[in-house]
Amino acid sequence: MKLIKVASAVALACSSSVLMAQTIEITITNLTHAQNFTPRLVIAHDSSVDAFEPGVGATSALAWLAEAGVIDDAQNAASSGQNFEALLGPTDTDNTTNTWHRFGGLVAPSTTSATYSFDTLDKPYLSILTMLIPTNDAFAGLDSIEIPTTPGTYTYMLNAYDAGTELNDELNSTRTDIVEQDTGNALGGYGVPGVAGVGASPVELGVGGTGVAVKVGFAIDGSAIGANEVVDGTDGPVHIHRNILGDTSLTDGASDLQSTEHRWLNPVARVTITIPAP
Amino acid sequence: MNMNKINLALLPLIAVLVTGCGDDGKDGAPGPAGVAGVDGTDGIDGIDGTNGNLAVFTVQITNLTYSQPLSPAAIVLHEPGYNIFIDGEPASTALEVLAESGNPSDIITEAVASTEYLDAIASDSATAPRSIGNVSTLLVPLLDVDDLRISLTTMLVDTNDAFTGLNAADISNMTVGQSVSFMAPSWDAGTEANTETASTIPGPAAVAAGGGGASAGFDAARDDLFNLVHFHPGAVTSANADDASKEGLNTSVLTEADRWGNPTAKIVITRTR
Repeated sequence: MKLIKVASAVALACSSSVLMAQTIEITITNLTHAQNFTPRLVIAHDSSVDAFEPGVGATSALAWLAEAGVIDDAQNAASSGQNFEALLGPTDTDNTTNTWHRFGGLVAPSTTSATYSFDTLDKPYLSILTMLIPTNDAFAGLDSIEIPTTPGTYTYMLNAYDAGTELNDELNSTRTDIVEQDTGNALGGYGVPGVAGVGASPVELGVGGTGVAVKVGFAIDGSAIGANEVVDGTDGPVHIHRNILGDTSLTDGASDLQSTEHRWLNPVARVTITIPAP
Repeated sequence: MNMNKINLALLPLIAVLVTGCGDDGKDGAPGPAGVAGVDGTDGIDGIDGTNGNLAVFTVQITNLTYSQPLSPAAIVLHEPGYNIFIDGEPASTALEVLAESGNPSDIITEAVASTEYLDAIASDSATAPRSIGNVSTLLVPLLDVDDLRISLTTMLVDTNDAFTGLNAADISNMTVGQSVSFMAPSWDAGTEANTETASTIPGPAAVAAGGGGASAGFDAARDDLFNLVHFHPGAVTSANADDASKEGLNTSVLTEADRWGNPTAKIVITRTR
């Protein structure tokens, strides 16, 4: 018996001394009342990679994720060169500093879970990002946790952050009655960073809202601009999101979101990581 | 000469053997029993016990909210495998009763019936906002201390179906005198739409508006957006209901003061024995 124990201990020591692929199980659970999660960006990385940092301005890659839910070229060609694919390198590859994967589809609210297998390629840290829709630029983030090495199941609670790259006007992005100031671009859906991106909502969105953090027809300083124009401002750097305001009207009021449904209190997500036995 | 004498002496014996072919005689009756022996001396005393075989835990809740009273809490000590609720699944009727009316007794009944049950108690009173509640005491066999869980639920009574507490938190292997504390978020039972009206909220905010009480508590109908336990989005309240923003819910009897943020409760568990 003693001999067998020693032998297996030696085998263990040998296996852990060799760099080998480590596939972990990741479960993400949406704890919100009525916010969907966009496709999840999962990154295993070394200390040189920091997908987001509270108090630090967002990268263009984070802006694409937090405003449009876009991670790579395949999702939106217009994001090419600015998205996380450009920042990190090809997906599912050992990019020396990192390896990453986009897990597609929406995770619905009210505690729906999705589970993935992810090969960390023995990178020491893990980050996970997903946009909350409908919001302007809110995302749930797991900020560079050290990947445990002891087999077991580990649980992390995620807060909602504001990327700070867009004012929280809370306007329905499908509206055609308002345009972005200066460019004259229609809001045009959530695929365009810069303007209200609300995207697929589990409950009906309103129209006719006059804006929350910034009003339609007014500049940030309160001076009048075109009556159908909305300012595309920023409110960075990255910080804990102050929650959406919403309103109770589907046709007017300040917001096109619903105050009774779309709000949240932290945490907004639970991540469970299972490290398999060697 | 000697030899002859011996032969003669054997003769009667042979005669007996020959007559043995007849019927056996009856045995005689048994003799009377002997007298009882003397009692043995007493054994030596056993060693002293170690304060019985129960571990004692106290549980104390601090209400961290500004103005949401917490109902009497259902507190359950149990082995792994029992849950009052699982977020992402529909609430049990017992949880629905607690989350809508603030009555913990159905959860206690359910807990006592479970195989993982060790002890359960309803705390003796509600916990006022911004205050530390009374101490509840629970007993657990020493053998179970090495793998022990605590579950606790208490309603935010000025809401439709919000509750806070602990979901099978691990308190294994606490030593005597040790305390652990947890900061608890707030869940939405998902069993009642968050209408915030006087007729659906049992607490004092609804009473002040002419509703509240038992009739505004438990309603078996499930009419929330999702009939699933999830984290609570907070109270909307009637603030800003009538201005241009229309942010508030004009049917709400709650005011801006009835809002809260997480965490809503601090729960301190101490092993006292």
